[in-house]
Amino acid sequence: MTDQVTFPDAVQWAVPFFIAAILAEFLWISIKGRGGRYETRDAVTSLIMGAGNIASGFLLGFIAYAFFMWLWQITPLNLGTSIPVIILCFVLDDLRYYWVHRLGHRVRWVWASHVNHHSSQHYNLTTALRQTWTYTFTFMMVVRAPLILLGFHPAMVLFVGGINLIYQFWIHTEAIGKMPRWFEAIMNTPSHHRAHHGRNARYLDCNYAGVFIIWDKLFGTFVPEQDDDRVDYGLVHNIGTFNPLRVAFHEWVGIWQDVKQPGLSLRQRLAYCFAPPGYSHDGSRDNSEQIKAKHLARHPEDRGTPGFEQFDAKPPNAQAERA
Amino acid sequence: MPLEILLVLVVGGIAGITLLLHVTGRSRLRVLTKASAQKDWLRHFPDDDVIDVTISHDCHSALIRTNVGAGLLWSFGADTVARHLMDFDWLEHPKGLEVQFHEFGVPRVVIHLDESERRHWRHLMEPA
Repeated sequence: MTDQVTFPDAVQWAVPFFIAAILAEFLWISIKGRGGRYETRDAVTSLIMGAGNIASGFLLGFIAYAFFMWLWQITPLNLGTSIPVIILCFVLDDLRYYWVHRLGHRVRWVWASHVNHHSSQHYNLTTALRQTWTYTFTFMMVVRAPLILLGFHPAMVLFVGGINLIYQFWIHTEAIGKMPRWFEAIMNTPSHHRAHHGRNARYLDCNYAGVFIIWDKLFGTFVPEQDDDRVDYGLVHNIGTFNPLRVAFHEWVGIWQDVKQPGLSLRQRLAYCFAPPGYSHDGSRDNSEQIKAKHLARHPEDRGTPGFEQFDAKPPNAQAERA
Repeated sequence: MPLEILLVLVVGGIAGITLLLHVTGRSRLRVLTKASAQKDWLRHFPDDDVIDVTISHDCHSALIRTNVGAGLLWSFGADTVARHLMDFDWLEHPKGLEVQFHEFGVPRVVIHLDESERRHWRHLMEPA
């Protein structure tokens, strides 16, 4: 199936808006003295990561596009390019984003690409641009395959993906507190996404949504930002470099160093690649469940509160006494 | 968007924002006190018990003794980064000591120490 369908590269056209919005946020913070903070090297690193993301799209984007066009050749379906189809594509692509993002936090191979987005200890509009250079190597483009096989043109799928990323730009701010209740209920907002960027035990592995927060509510990963647990941004083990090359590749290097350790079984080597971040064959590291459990050992009063619902509201010794 | 315009926007945008942040004082390194260093250490390693804290004279590095061994905390822009001193090398440096962690994301840290501090820090950094 071949036809000429073109959509604009929305992310490129949004670049002037990104710059203007960053200046506006900085001005707001400077005047008000609240609503976030900026640090020169942190912001520059984020901006260079953003530029590198666009460059990696130019250099490696053809791999995903060739794959999508091959799928488009073999599918007998073509839903066209009407407005309702574009809207449907946008919603389904946002569901696709949710799962890719969730895998990005739960599979170390994908985390190696996504980790750099979380590597800043700041949370401002430049953080939104701290994007991966290595997404192609995660092979997560396969998650878009069902959309194209269903008859959504690859150019449209990429277009709505770009709109999705542009939407997510403005939610990377502390300058906006909470949006109206109806909006917070349906849409991803600065508040929901701040929680996603938290390294606090409570906020690990939550709020994967791109545009619609309903996916997190549907799949049980929603944690609302808590007034009494201020979000601490960054990684569980923060990196100590502003060098964009190190930011982009540090987790890939970490995987390699772990995998080539002598004396490991094949299963252990594979686990270092694909298990959730924090896996170690000797138990020397903690994954997010273990971090949450340790937090609850120190703060039993948090048991059963948002972000800790998977742990019983009663501590284990209380259960034993009850039994 | 034509590539040359995109390039001008990206390069100009990054340069302009960098200049703006620098001239408005956003390049200052975090200054540590004993209390803030202890608080920051527990932020990085909440399971540890801090025994004592030694701050460098420039207030940008802190040696933390904990129940699980010594650790280094240092200013990283407006924030801090911390590591236990387990897998590392140290070298003499004209400004003090250079600590090299065998970690791609934390390549090295230069600790500014005067002559009297150097010996003390070297002693504290030795494995127990």
